[in-house]
Amino acid sequence: MFLINCPYCGERDQSEFSSGGEAHIVRPKQPTKLSDDQWAEYLFMRKNIKGVQFERWNHAHGCRKWFNMVRDTSNDKIHAVYKMAEKPPVK
Amino acid sequence: MLNYNSPINDKKEYSDLIISEIEPIIKINIRGKTRDFLTKIGKSLSIILPTEANTSSENDNLNIIWLSPDEWMVYSNNKTNSGNYNYKLEDDLFNKISKMNYGSVTNITDQWVMINLKGDKIFELLSAGCPFNFNNFKNRKGTVTQTLINHIDVIIHNKNINDLNLFVRRSFSNHLWSWMNDSAKFL
Repeated sequence: MFLINCPYCGERDQSEFSSGGEAHIVRPKQPTKLSDDQWAEYLFMRKNIKGVQFERWNHAHGCRKWFNMVRDTSNDKIHAVYKMAEKPPVK
Repeated sequence: MLNYNSPINDKKEYSDLIISEIEPIIKINIRGKTRDFLTKIGKSLSIILPTEANTSSENDNLNIIWLSPDEWMVYSNNKTNSGNYNYKLEDDLFNKISKMNYGSVTNITDQWVMINLKGDKIFELLSAGCPFNFNNFKNRKGTVTQTLINHIDVIIHNKNINDLNLFVRRSFSNHLWSWMNDSAKFL
């Protein structure tokens, strides 16, 4: 259990949110020209690192808005929260 | 259409706590982003849309509560019946907003059930199954939150000190009602 600061609603319990996985994965501009392996790489393969990770989260039981979060997966410390259209903090 | 088969149709009184279903009242979900949308809604309802998070605005007949940066819920203060002013309200909004493509207007009267809670112990009751911190919420009239109670999605509108309206999806309303009454016995 930890608190997440929703950029729209403010600080809420983690149980109100759902995780959307790794953030800033860019969709290929011409998917039809990719091989199956390249497409699978884009679609399924995630870093899932132990440490600071850029993630998407959704305030599912609140405002239902998506946003991004920089979280340390080893200790759940949240370094930054920012809206979808905003640029990520420097890595 | 308004549904007159109320799912709960009950009122319970405990020491320092009264729980009652208030139905039927009209509820309308409105969504939009543009400045024209905000202006049109303000003129149609004679209320300014609350743009600050977790707040609401009201006049004699209606309340508007903030749900997200581009979504609000309008609900009436009084119980309604067919053919009265509230149908006109929905038609007006639909014609001025939806038809003109400024935003969307959806009648959600049947989808949500309103339960009114009054008394000194309402926040003790809610805190028994809710992760939300009510410390600041309970002293500020007009504040709104969407959260979970006993794993059920709810919208809570702090109408006045120790007087709040709680909205729950109709299909969950009986379960939440049972849970609230069960928990109230232990306060």
